[in-house]
Amino acid sequence: MHRRLAATLFSTALLVAVAGCGDDGGDGGDDQPTGPAGRDQVTVGLIPIVDVAPLFLGIEQGFFEDRNIDVTTDFAAGGAEIIPGVQSGTYDFGFSNVISLMLAQASGIELKVVANGNNSTGVDGEDFGSLMVPVDSPVQSAAELGDATIAINTLNNISDPVVRESVRKAGGDPAGIEFVGVPFPEMEAALANGDADAVFVVEPFQTIIRNNGVGRSVASSWVDAAPDLTVAAYFTSTAMIDENPDLVQRFTEAMTEALAFANENEEAVRNVITTYTDMQPQLASEITLPAWPPEINRASSERLAQLAIQDGLLAEPPDLDALYP
Amino acid sequence: MSERLHRLLLGLAGLAGFGLLLEALPRWGVVSDRYLPPTSRILGELFERARHRPLWDAVFNTLGTWAIGLVVAVAAAVVLGMVIGTVPLLRAFTASTIEFLRPIPSVAWISAAIVLYGPVKMGTLLIVVYAAFWQMLVQVLHGVADVDPVARDTARSYRLGPLARIRWVTLPTALPYLATGLRLAATVALILTVTGELFVGTPGLGADILRASSSGATAGVYALVVVTGLLGVAANLLFRTVERRALSWHPSVRTEVPA
Repeated sequence: MHRRLAATLFSTALLVAVAGCGDDGGDGGDDQPTGPAGRDQVTVGLIPIVDVAPLFLGIEQGFFEDRNIDVTTDFAAGGAEIIPGVQSGTYDFGFSNVISLMLAQASGIELKVVANGNNSTGVDGEDFGSLMVPVDSPVQSAAELGDATIAINTLNNISDPVVRESVRKAGGDPAGIEFVGVPFPEMEAALANGDADAVFVVEPFQTIIRNNGVGRSVASSWVDAAPDLTVAAYFTSTAMIDENPDLVQRFTEAMTEALAFANENEEAVRNVITTYTDMQPQLASEITLPAWPPEINRASSERLAQLAIQDGLLAEPPDLDALYP
Repeated sequence: MSERLHRLLLGLAGLAGFGLLLEALPRWGVVSDRYLPPTSRILGELFERARHRPLWDAVFNTLGTWAIGLVVAVAAAVVLGMVIGTVPLLRAFTASTIEFLRPIPSVAWISAAIVLYGPVKMGTLLIVVYAAFWQMLVQVLHGVADVDPVARDTARSYRLGPLARIRWVTLPTALPYLATGLRLAATVALILTVTGELFVGTPGLGADILRASSSGATAGVYALVVVTGLLGVAANLLFRTVERRALSWHPSVRTEVPA
């Protein structure tokens, strides 16, 4: 009796295992799978943040469907997983900040940007990210943070040069800054407990920290780095472009339309955010949204690259002709 | 029976006390309720989520990865363990390698798993299988080593074939070890499944915890953590029951039953 039960259980489990193994294979650009309606299936690697709202709006509004594309979104644990995911063909497209893309290029990974991601609002004091200090801190300007301990999300990445630039612009010397890596959700606690003198934080945590009376902004670092800075972009592998240029072209068109739509329909953006994040509607209605111009701001990337070289993040200027469309 | 009931009640009272403490701490202001919401709010969030599909999708994804990883690890460990354990030369040959590979924490492989497979379920499965495999293998090896040499030689004298020897001599001795290994492997596999979801990003409770966290939804994070805890308790209960049933004839279980 027991023996038969055990045998049945075991063989069932084995079947489940065998059946389950095949369901997650990476889809290279090689032979793009097509859905029931004959549409191209693409997987986009993202992180569940405000910045990627246009993609979800584009799906909701049918901009991808119009171009015969079925988009599956896949949330990666962090931006660091997205580039290997695109490189290996697990993702057809990915979303990443431009410094990560430049660093990937410098390490020999062949990627190409296919659409703009998101930009700073360009308005000092009203951006989607800012350098914040505790409410009771004596610091009034970024110039006083030259020897501070500053928490950033990822060390040796985009936050590093933009925060240094804020200090420089305010008239300080950023040489003595000590950066510590703290995930965005923990930055409020880092400020409250005095683990950091300042944090560089983006939405929704900028609003949460402000609403909770824990911190206040002293600089808008995206704005300080370059006018209308392009922070992140959608990209793919050069292999994908070689194998399926038509699909890439249609993705770019759909994404461009989605960006323009997001820029003009604030309410739709705030609504869609609550569908793919766990943000409360109240919070989603309060946060400062990034700007989503349809075109990538290449001049801002050149400026950002200069800063990154100056601060030792990059050894030489990136080949933007190869990286950008 | 009444003693078991007594213990169950005490256990539940302890849990309720713990819940009350976590309710009181933020209300008394010992910790900020922004970092640790009171129990009532966490449970409220949990019931709210339980009414919607995404939570159940996440639970099934987690259970799926966990089950596949566990089955693969256990099957591989039992087969390899039986072979290695019954051939002394092989045992000596592999001992140092096993002792080197076994203590490597599975999470140390996460970056390698991502490079190998990209952020897909295979990456999470790799670390789940790795962690669970050693738990099981070591138990199988101990179980096989525990076979009474006299029984083994007797079976051989009676010309029992290798399969019959495994069935009638090795298995009955090794079964209690296998049951322990299974229970340990199941727990470890669940831990690594959620870890993999958190760090590789494959769909499941871990990924949902990450998403709640990056949306500033603190109560949501705790609600999902409670769900992972419930899964752990359920897994442990399940395998304890299986163990008790499968080994009802074995002294280690039999003596527990009051005469």
